[in-house]
Amino acid sequence: MSINVTGTIERKGLGPGTWAIVTEEGETYELYQGAPDELLKSGVKAKIKGEVRDDVMTFAMIGPVLEVKSFKVVD
Amino acid sequence: MRKVFILCLFIIGLGFAIFNFKGLATRGTYDSIVLDFREDVPAAQIAGKLSAIAQQYHVNPFLNSEFSIKDNVYIVKGDANLLNALKKSDIAKATESIEPNYIYNAYEVPNDPHYTKQWNLRSINVEAAWEETKGSGMTVAVIDTGVSRVPDLKDTKFVKGYDFVNDKEEADDDNGHGTHVAGTIAQSTNNGYGVAGIAYEASIMPLKVLSGSGGGTVADISEAIKFAADNGADVINMSLGGGGASELMQEAVDYAYSKGVVIVAAAGNENRNSSSYPARYPHVISVAATGPAGEKAPYSNFGAGVDISAPGGSETGKILQETIDYQTGEPVFAEYQGTSMASPHVAGVAALVKASGVENPDEIETVLTKSARVVTEDPLNHFGAGHLDAAAAVKFAQKGQITFRDFFRWLRENGYLNLRFWFDGGAVALLPKIAMVLGSYILAWFLRNYLPGWSWSLSGGLIFGSSGLFFLRGFYVFDLPQWPFRVLGSSIPELGNAVQGTIALNPIFASVLIPLALIALLLGNRSWKWFAIGSGIGVASCLLVSAVMMPNVMWLGEGLLARSFLIVNAILCYGLSWLSMQGEQKTA
Repeated sequence: MSINVTGTIERKGLGPGTWAIVTEEGETYELYQGAPDELLKSGVKAKIKGEVRDDVMTFAMIGPVLEVKSFKVVD
Repeated sequence: MRKVFILCLFIIGLGFAIFNFKGLATRGTYDSIVLDFREDVPAAQIAGKLSAIAQQYHVNPFLNSEFSIKDNVYIVKGDANLLNALKKSDIAKATESIEPNYIYNAYEVPNDPHYTKQWNLRSINVEAAWEETKGSGMTVAVIDTGVSRVPDLKDTKFVKGYDFVNDKEEADDDNGHGTHVAGTIAQSTNNGYGVAGIAYEASIMPLKVLSGSGGGTVADISEAIKFAADNGADVINMSLGGGGASELMQEAVDYAYSKGVVIVAAAGNENRNSSSYPARYPHVISVAATGPAGEKAPYSNFGAGVDISAPGGSETGKILQETIDYQTGEPVFAEYQGTSMASPHVAGVAALVKASGVENPDEIETVLTKSARVVTEDPLNHFGAGHLDAAAAVKFAQKGQITFRDFFRWLRENGYLNLRFWFDGGAVALLPKIAMVLGSYILAWFLRNYLPGWSWSLSGGLIFGSSGLFFLRGFYVFDLPQWPFRVLGSSIPELGNAVQGTIALNPIFASVLIPLALIALLLGNRSWKWFAIGSGIGVASCLLVSAVMMPNVMWLGEGLLARSFLIVNAILCYGLSWLSMQGEQKTA
């Protein structure tokens, strides 16, 4: 199931750390491996089209895991 | 009638005192006795007394050390009988004291130089546990990002593992998370280097299921659980979570459980009121995280499914172990935080418990939860059974007397069957609730001459006023808010603080106001009137018991002010009910 998420990219400090996108409503999605490097910068506002991976577990455990299909940096 | 009332209060007070009785203060052990003779007694006289003791009691008094000559401190071998005999004899007159020579034990403090920074190990009381066992012979499977043999794992034993991400035998770490978790469980300890681990004589089975960026599939994790069960793991630690329910994974968990493996998992880091998968599966111990002061860590999940809490660290203090650097792959001492860090504390102590002779995974869980330090005020289940205590767990395990399975556990096990419900047995302090219900019936009994008989409406009012359906307070449905159950499980006085889930009573609800409103509204109705009257009596009982046992009212504190407020309102409630009954025909 494909969804659109708009929010701010953050580096979360759990364990050695992980990348996440936090929406304005305060929902946190963990970004799944293989997300492009251009996206993975703290403070970047982005609109991501992706898929929530229900079959994936992580050590960060901060919320649903979002596999990025495409994204757009927004101001 | 006054006598009956005083008797009832006495019984309630006595019951309370018995429940809080902690037994005699703990005493040390000794196998010798110290005799400290007075300095003004001449040496010749002391020599005479000593030879008299030697003859009479067949013991051989000796100086404690060469420094004892000046102070006249002598030691004799002996037990409590000799101690009493000496104290009663005329020798006592020549001494300053005769007392047991208590044996002091130095706890096992390891020589690892950074051990002083490991507040987390002291907070679980591990030094006293190490006196009994260090987990020798146990195997703990670490299902994670892999484990690299950093210098401070050099003396740690390893058994064969597997890398399910890259499908190979060596399960090295390319992230740092798994090595850190393994360090908490069994970092090489007393090696004069780095930091300590909990069960440092146990073996680690490294199983890599998470990639270098920290994610892994349910399929790989399930296979790793089965691998651990088939290859002799005693404990499995899973510092991972997320996703949804998976039959494949539940099957793997059940399989490992059936083979006697203890399974521990992190509750999750979303700060919400349900454990993540896999922590919420049946037979998995779900671990919430605490900070250095024992407080709930800000990120930690809580509520449904949480079985116990352990140090996971917070911004004020994190967990230090040796691992590899995320970017360079080089060994580094790193401070991490997360329920990922809390879970291996419990896994390590589970290994210590199993090494102490408790085999069955259910019994090991019982030992861990029953020995945990209870957090008395935990209405939202931040801590499960309480704070992990390694020393208490090992001592409890060695007693080998886990024969009972309590009612709440039974409820929880059965609630677990469909993965929807969960029951927190610690949410309700049972004794005050029973006192409140009993108290309301006793108060009603005083007014029996005015009552038309025991009706359902009266009983309903008594219960709603005094205790509510209190067993509902510990009831959870996964992923739903818990406050509706707290409200349903509350009596009238507790309604004002049920939604927030706090302990202090709201003085608007814990007063005569609601019974007054109920009576005003319902006095015209023949049967509902008795519900209103019953609720007035019930509230009176609830407020009285609260005033005696735990006065705690919002804005009024926990002292005399709160107590007086509760008692005055209890009297008003009782008086109100009595007044509303006037005019009824006596039925006695």
